[in-house]
This record gives sequence, structure tokens and C-alpha cells, in this order.
Amino acid sequence: MATKTKPNGKSEKNQPQSTRLWLMFPPKLITRPIVWELGQKFPLVTNVRQASVTDEIGLVSLELSGSRGDIKAAIKWMEKLGIKVEPVEINVIES
Amino acid sequence: MDKQTGFMKALKCRECGREYPLAATHVCEFDFGPLEVAYDYDRIKASMTRSAIQSRSKNMWRYRELLPVAGEPTVGCEVGFTPLIKADRLAKRLGIRELWIKNDAVNYPTLSFKDRVVSVALSRAKELGFTTVACASTGNLANSVAANAASAGLKAYVFIPSDLELGKVLNSLVYGANVVGIKGHYDEVNRLCAEIAGKYNWAFVNVNMRPYYAEGSKSMGFEIIEQLGWKIPQHTIVPMASGSLLTKIHKSYQEMTKLGLVSDAEYSVHGAQPAGCSPISVAQKAGLDFFKPVKPNTIAKSLAIGTPADGFYALKVMKETGGAADDVTDDEIRDGIKLLAECEGIFTETAGGVTVGVAKKLIASGKIPANDSAVLCITGNGLKTLDALVGHVGHTREIRPSLREFEALIEAETKSPTAA
Repeated sequence: MATKTKPNGKSEKNQPQSTRLWLMFPPKLITRPIVWELGQKFPLVTNVRQASVTDEIGLVSLELSGSRGDIKAAIKWMEKLGIKVEPVEINVIES
Repeated sequence: MDKQTGFMKALKCRECGREYPLAATHVCEFDFGPLEVAYDYDRIKASMTRSAIQSRSKNMWRYRELLPVAGEPTVGCEVGFTPLIKADRLAKRLGIRELWIKNDAVNYPTLSFKDRVVSVALSRAKELGFTTVACASTGNLANSVAANAASAGLKAYVFIPSDLELGKVLNSLVYGANVVGIKGHYDEVNRLCAEIAGKYNWAFVNVNMRPYYAEGSKSMGFEIIEQLGWKIPQHTIVPMASGSLLTKIHKSYQEMTKLGLVSDAEYSVHGAQPAGCSPISVAQKAGLDFFKPVKPNTIAKSLAIGTPADGFYALKVMKETGGAADDVTDDEIRDGIKLLAECEGIFTETAGGVTVGVAKKLIASGKIPANDSAVLCITGNGLKTLDALVGHVGHTREIRPSLREFEALIEAETKSPTAA
């Protein structure tokens, strides 16, 4: 897919941006250091703003900063592992 | 009244209490907690008396001091003050002493309680200088934004999943809204809309306008109190999608008490969900203060939110007020719709069937005592979800234009009434 190029020559995919997310970890992933792994795998800045971890569920509000392409890839990676990833604006779609 | 802020003081984080200016913003920069409107209750107390309210027009804006607009409302000025009906026949069928129906199935102009929240969001959006409004929706919200924006001369963008039924799409297109169908899974559509909301300087009613938008729901609670003769009902049963309406009904009762407009009374707020999407009710029944996200599969599409944004707060309200939650199957939802229609002549959408079905369960289990009084919040009109009833409400009996055939039909029915 062609990437849109801005007048200054930078492609939109590589523009730095921040995304605010809520992550929900299922029980089997609660003890795994996912945020650390994410930082190793993708050139992104991770910033945890809130977290609540019990035996049954882990909830983390996370800010990711970096290129749009890397943020999208990181979200895909987390979802593949079984983490529910939502924008902070969850329920954007209402009935 | 301050011309810039009205009776509002600030936006306040529900988690940490940090305050923000009254702009189009909805998340605390510090902990990502949701922002809520904080009011100057001392000034409101001086202005909002029972007689002042009663002297105003019969719409939701008669409680305008407690709704987040700075000046006079400019959108949806006739919304609200829907009927509160004493439902004696339904009370008898459900086995409770007294029952009331708050009927937002006839709310103006688009036949659902969403007109309340949208008129607040759009009035505030105009005050903040927006000329384009937007929402992502699969039904009632889209209709309401499209209709109210049209009447206010605002440009509207409505985002929908691309596979939405034609009927629902027409309901927004007819008002001249820009309807954009998005191909993709629910999660992808959700994330794209969050991105659009962040990038374009539009008033996205349930994203950057959410603190104002959500406050509109309180008007349903204010009206219940006034229509009951300035009394808080012992029990209120509320359908839950995101859980926001339940928390706002509770807030409305608290505010009216704080202002001395109603005497302090014990009350319970109960929540209703479809079994096919019941993260909040499952958590409530298990005594948990958090919910687990689910994938919705229910005919009650207007309640199909698997990750409810206000789920945590709804659980808290039920705990604080001694309320309970329950859920009902698709068949029980249809039974609830039919029961309300047959007993009270009110045709509600599937969400209303959920409310009636759950009320029946809570009364039968004694969680709502038979000797008490309850209000059911009916939030939308049955004409919007006709598909859910196809094949489930009997059938017409056809005859030729002959009196003899008609009489034969009546005779057959008299002999065997169940055949009808």
C-alpha cells in the first residue's frame, strides 16, 4: 500500500505521534512482562499511567509514543497475544 | 449567571479530582481517568427552586442549571419531559405493589433517550464554536445526531460499520448527514473513530464532548422525581450498555437531594443487561468490582457494548445503593417487549424488553420486594427494532370478504381461545 507523503517529504506513517490505550490482560498473561517486551520489540516509548492487577485480570492504561506504523504493529502484536487493546476513548461507537 | 460558564465550575477527573477548563476535552492528562462536569451548587441552590422549575416549559431544559451549557440551550429545546405512566396492569403481572414506566420511547424528535444527551452535547458544541458535529453509532445515537444537527444547521458526520442494515442507514441519511461506512471489525472501527476524533477539530459527541453529553441523561432522573410528586423512587431499573445512564440517574437523585428539592430517602438503582452481552451484570452477581470484557451476541443491539466504559462506576453505584443486576435471554427480551405492549400499550425496542425482563426476575427473586414501588426506564421505541420480533408475535388470519367466513373464524376462536 502506498504511504501518503506530506509536503515536507515525511510520510504520514513515520510521523511521530502518541496513542493512549487501555490494555486488558487475561489471567494467563498477568505475570508476563509485556510492557518491557513491547519496548524491546518496537522502537516505542511506553508510559504507564494507571494499573490494576488482580488474580483474574490486569488493567493498564498505557501511552505509546513513536511512529504510527510502529504503534499499529505493536497493537497488532499485543492483540495476537490475547490482550484486549482499546483506545482510551472506549465505546466510541454507540448504538 | 456567568456568561462563559453558566453554573459550571470546571471539568474534573473522576479518578484523581484534577480540574480542567470547560473545553472540548474528556480525559485526564495525568491518569487517563474520565472527566466530569463540576457545578457551583451554592449558586444553583439560589436559582433552582421547585416553583421556578414548575414555571418553566415542559421539557428537559426546565432543569437547566444542572445541565452543562453556559447560556440558553440552542439545540433540542423541546426534548424530554416524556410521560411517567402508572403501570397497574404490568405491576399485577410482575407481582409488585406499584410500578411506573418512564417512557422515553416517545422522546422528541427521534424516539429514544439519546435525544437528551445529544441536545446537551450539540448546544454546548455551538457555545464552544464548533460548526461540525460527529458520532460513531449503529442506531439511536446516529439518528439523534443527524436530526438534531439538521435542525440546528450544523454539519454532521455519522460513522457506521459498513454492513449496517439499510433501514438504520436511511434513518440518518434522510436528515442530510454525511454518513461514512467503515469496513472492518468493531475494534478497528472503534480505533479509527478515536483517531479521527483526535485529529479533526469537530465536536465528537461521545468522545471530546462526552463530559457534557453524558450529563444529559440526568434529566431523565430529574423528571422521574418531579413527576412522582418530588419523590425519589424506592427502586429504579435501568438498562446498561456502557453503564453511563445508570450512574447519571444516581447522580440526578443525589443532586436533587443536595439542593433540597427532594427529601433524603433510601433508594436502589438496579441494572439490566441482555445475557448475550452482560459483563456488568455478571460481575455484579459475582460480587466483583471489575468486569471482564465480552464479545456481544444479542438481539438487544443498543446494549451490545462488550467493554463498557462506565461499567466500573455502574457497579459502584449498585453497591452503594443496594441495587442488583441481572440479565435475560433473547426469548425473555421478546417476552418483555410483548408483556409491556399487552399490559400498557407501549411498544419498546429490545433494550426495553431487557428492562422489563430483568425487573420480572428481580421482583420474583425478592431483590425488589413485592411491597415496594419501582420505576422502569424505557429508553427507545419498538418501531426501531421490528426485525427482532418477526415470527414471534403471532400471525394474521386471512379470510375472504365474507361475513360468513368472519363468523366462522370468531366461532372457532371462541371454542378454542388459544388457537388465536
